[in-house]
Amino acid sequence: MRGLLLALLLSCATAEAHKPSDSYLTLFADGKTLRGQWDIALRDLEYAIGLDANGDGAITWGELKAKQAEVDAYALARLSLSADGKACRLAPADHLVDDHSDGAYAVLRFRAECTPEGYGRIAVEYSLFFDLDPTHRGLLRVERPGDSETGILSPERPRLEIRAQARSRLEQFSDYVREGVWHIWIGFDHILFLLSLLLPAVFVWSGSTWRPAERFATTFWDVFKVATSFTVAHSITLSLAALSVVELPSRLVESAIALSVVLAALNNVWPLVHGRRWMVAFGFGLIHGFGFASVLADLGLPRDALLLALVGFNVGVEVGQLAIIAAFLPLAYALRGTWAYRRLVFVGGSAAIALVAAIWLTERAFDLKLGLI
Amino acid sequence: MQLPKVFLFCAWCGVALAAPHIPGSDGDVLERLPGRRDDPVQAELRSLRAASNAAPEDSAAAATLARRYFDLANAEGDPRYVGYAEAALRRWPSNDAPVEVLYVRGLLRQYRHDFDTALGEFERVLSREPDHFGARSWRAGLYMVRADYASAARECAALPVEKDDLYAVACRAYIDATTGKTAAAYRQLAGALAADRDVEPGERLWVLTRLGEMAWRLGDAAAADRHFRDALALGRDDNFLLAAYADFLLEQGRAKEAARLLRDWARSDTLLLRLAMAEKQLGSPDAQPHIQALGERFAAASLRGERLHMGEEARYLLDLKGDPAAALAVGLENWKEQREPRDALVVLEAAAAARDAKAAAPVLKWLEQSGFESERMRRAAASLR
Repeated sequence: MRGLLLALLLSCATAEAHKPSDSYLTLFADGKTLRGQWDIALRDLEYAIGLDANGDGAITWGELKAKQAEVDAYALARLSLSADGKACRLAPADHLVDDHSDGAYAVLRFRAECTPEGYGRIAVEYSLFFDLDPTHRGLLRVERPGDSETGILSPERPRLEIRAQARSRLEQFSDYVREGVWHIWIGFDHILFLLSLLLPAVFVWSGSTWRPAERFATTFWDVFKVATSFTVAHSITLSLAALSVVELPSRLVESAIALSVVLAALNNVWPLVHGRRWMVAFGFGLIHGFGFASVLADLGLPRDALLLALVGFNVGVEVGQLAIIAAFLPLAYALRGTWAYRRLVFVGGSAAIALVAAIWLTERAFDLKLGLI
Repeated sequence: MQLPKVFLFCAWCGVALAAPHIPGSDGDVLERLPGRRDDPVQAELRSLRAASNAAPEDSAAAATLARRYFDLANAEGDPRYVGYAEAALRRWPSNDAPVEVLYVRGLLRQYRHDFDTALGEFERVLSREPDHFGARSWRAGLYMVRADYASAARECAALPVEKDDLYAVACRAYIDATTGKTAAAYRQLAGALAADRDVEPGERLWVLTRLGEMAWRLGDAAAADRHFRDALALGRDDNFLLAAYADFLLEQGRAKEAARLLRDWARSDTLLLRLAMAEKQLGSPDAQPHIQALGERFAAASLRGERLHMGEEARYLLDLKGDPAAALAVGLENWKEQREPRDALVVLEAAAAARDAKAAAPVLKWLEQSGFESERMRRAAASLR
């Protein structure tokens, strides 16, 4: 009995010198032919079929070669591939070795002979080592022209189905559009900047004070000019930054974005610029474009579809912006004459935006977390 | 921001792989196995396996084999043995399996950090054998990992030994030293060790390691160093002791000694981390390849969709990669499951470096409630307030 407690209180800190057993199965699919490369740990093969012929505790290349046919038969009997529901015949091609982070692996390259007509989906059924070690995992990667996809095969989920063609251009494009919309939606600094410029659009400056606009057309054109110049400006810098023509440090960009929101909001409370807000939108739009670019960079830009990603993301940002404008404008126009809009929303709202943005500015410029908002 | 799944396709990209190749000659050694065929451990495993295979209905034989694998997994840090152990117990999946199966199943679950299931298995063992020493002490240990000190204390009190037995004292001292009564715990544990004449080397090692940690936190570096050295002198390779002593040496600015201590331990993730930290402090050329090797191990583990060493990964990101924001995120993720003092420390230090006091709130709350005494932890916490 004694000796147990110690084992206990220690073992939660157990070191793992190695990782659990994995194999790496890579399939190269193009919709017509199918090839595979399967990296299987020598440790696991030793446990399953025995490789160390002379029992000296070391596996040599000669010992592995002598067992190659057995390795092939053992492994390939535990993998089945099918293309569009039709079983593929697996034939070993080359035998190599490779090192992974936890030791040496046998590399088995094979051809899969499936249907001659071409295929759209591949199904993988995997059971290697699951009977000997239920913690074993098959790490699957399917390489397609243009992209790749990964999956994990386990005793709980021994079958995966993956499509053989890369995502279509249209699907990739719509992914980026969605990202653009999403980014505007969660990017409060962009929304607040846009709102600061939109809030006074339902007014006209009469030389000393704001008055409600008399015609919707005036307001509409004002908004149109502001939104368009913001869009054009940030599209320019987004493209330049995404193409690595211009690169700015992100702290500078993020601080400048916060500053742009402060200034735009304060301008509503103490107007300096009234007529040509589209120019303000353009100038600061250039800064916001750099902010969008860093998001796009985080998403990972496909080398072969850079333009597609760029246009898609930009379109998404515009769609998001238009949605905000479409929700804001009719409401603001309807309320423009009321006290609530003039004092509470316009002045109060602008002041609140300026305050929030000022906190961002401090945090970003001095790399602080104030924890206030 | 949460990226949609479509952008995560390149999950393998960060993992550096050597290129597949054909070795130059038949004599090239590709892999060293844990033992030769005539190695006594391998022979023992073979005979246990044969016994279990010969009597597939015999749960005791299967549990013995699984237990042996589990001990090997701990001793050698090789989780493959845990997989073999699970395979050995596969015939008894239900909750009314024999006690010896339930117990080993609990051990295997906790190894994979499935603490809820492990507590349940030990509970079932105790409902049938209330005096099961192992199940009781494991429950105490698991509650400690979860920072549930009241439950841990209940399990300690229920240990089927006398109150002044070294076990009972060690169990209580472990809790007391984590909850603001370090000095008293240190005195009691040292006293119990001195009073007990027939202490096994394994348990002496554990007690000395804990005494070293307590003395260190009490600010008595000389005593701490003495305890750690006494433990090392027992001549047993113990990952936990080496890690604790290396942490102590690193904090005392004795990186050279830490590097020497861990020179031959690069195969253990936890020790490779400390070795790389020591080498980095010393400006050694070995630091870079070791840091890279660690990164590859974390990347390889995450491919499986499992991250069992997030505490270490957070420390790696903070001290070796200089990325406090990422360290904070991983450290907080780890804190959801593992709440031992070192898990807390990495969160506090990462939060301080990332200037994000808000994120560290759950750990600050733990520090306040537990009353854990450590100068370094207090400093990290103070810099956040």
